[in-house]
Amino acid sequence: MAPTEAAEAKVLTREALPVRSEDDVVLVRRRARELAQRRGFDGFAQAAITTATSEIVRNALVHGGGGEATLEELDRGGRAGVRLTCRDEGPGVLDLERALRGGFSVTGTLGLGLSGARRLVDEFEVRSAPGAGTTVVLTKWARR
Amino acid sequence: MRPEDAIDRLQLDEREVRRRRDYFQVTDEDLARLASHRDLATRHNDEVIEALYQFILGHPESRAFFPDAATVARVKQLQRRYFLGLFQGRCDPAYAEDRVRVGATHETIRMPARLYMGAYAVYLELIRAMFERELEPAAARAAYASAQRLVAFDMALAMDTYVAAAEDTIVRHQAAVRELSTPVIRVFDRILLLPLVGTIDTARAQQVMETLLTRVAEEQARVVIIDISGVPVVDTKVAEHMIMTTNAVRLLGAKTVVAGISPVVAKTIVQLGISLTALETRGRLQDAITLALELTGRAPAGRQA
Ligand SMILES: Nc1ncnc2c1ncn2[C@@H]1O[C@H](COP(=O)(O)OP(=O)(O)O)[C@@H](O)[C@H]1O
Ligand SMILES: [Mg+2]
Repeated sequence: MAPTEAAEAKVLTREALPVRSEDDVVLVRRRARELAQRRGFDGFAQAAITTATSEIVRNALVHGGGGEATLEELDRGGRAGVRLTCRDEGPGVLDLERALRGGFSVTGTLGLGLSGARRLVDEFEVRSAPGAGTTVVLTKWARR
Repeated sequence: MRPEDAIDRLQLDEREVRRRRDYFQVTDEDLARLASHRDLATRHNDEVIEALYQFILGHPESRAFFPDAATVARVKQLQRRYFLGLFQGRCDPAYAEDRVRVGATHETIRMPARLYMGAYAVYLELIRAMFERELEPAAARAAYASAQRLVAFDMALAMDTYVAAAEDTIVRHQAAVRELSTPVIRVFDRILLLPLVGTIDTARAQQVMETLLTRVAEEQARVVIIDISGVPVVDTKVAEHMIMTTNAVRLLGAKTVVAGISPVVAKTIVQLGISLTALETRGRLQDAITLALELTGRAPAGRQA
């Protein structure tokens, strides 16, 4: 790992947004795009963080019954980043391994949100326990 | 908002009225106390309403809502009934509906909530003065306290009527915008173009699909071009919508061509792991139209390949 990678990520800004309705999903992902733009992400990286945010925040709404999304602008050794932390108090992801593999959905949809979001970002973490809700943290770094 | 609609929206059944009364602490005792002053109220009815309208008509902003003498006479009559309503000894769904009706009437003439609420303050003051003039201090205080609670109950209904009307306006506008933003364009005989613009939420996705299917049937279309260049975020939800639309369109005997896929969207779709192989796709709209013409047997054969 390069020394810059090992440096602590500095949080430049942080804002929490509610996830209660489909409009909120749109607001959060729009905000994610604004932050990515402001941090100088190229078009591909902007789309990646925006789309991943859309998937994860919608999951919190649809599967988790709503929750809260926190967006952060990061800097790590001069490299710009955007992080989403999305939390809900829903039933938790029942079969996390299977859900992360993709193509598995309880709602008859594509089931590619979780696995797809993971591929779109640089860092991806799911914390979930049955009955204890779900927290997804994902980070996208700007290309140097 | 029409009074009947407002009543409908607030769902003022026994339970709801009970819930509201509990919150405002309007007790049976309050109602009985007010009812015991019914004669007093009847005697002072004209005087209170005259004073109220002196205030309302004396203020240029609120006066503007009462253009002529006939309107003034009509609303005064309504207000006299409203005032006596406080002294009927009941606060049930019929009473609540009556209150909503008055609120809806003010909303319908577009009287701003602040003017309406301001009049309530004067109204309460007049009631207090009436009791103080006619009753012993202790009795006046008790009567006024009861009236205050019931009027607060009334004010909440008026506010809720205003809010319901505002919500209705928003919903109506949303519906109008949706309709406007679902243009299905006939580009050639039997070829339709659906330019998707903006956010495809659940409600809009349904609307778009229904509008499109209706047009496909009407026009006996063979090809539908869905242009997604105006969709800001193509996620699995949008992909699902495209796939479902394609399937439904196919049932009507038409094919779908998706156009307007930018390089960024192409990469995002692949990373999401979405397979759109069941759909014909083209980058540029122009290429999609060429394909559509071929599919309907109108492009010079062999020019491609
Ligand atoms: N926040 C969440 N809470 C509970 N379950 C979830 C959550 N997010 C995802 N899941 C589960 O993981 C599955 C896969 O999610 P996803 O890949 O986004 O597909 P989809 O949302 O189309 O079902 C969902 O069907 C659901 O069972
Ligand atoms: Mg999902």
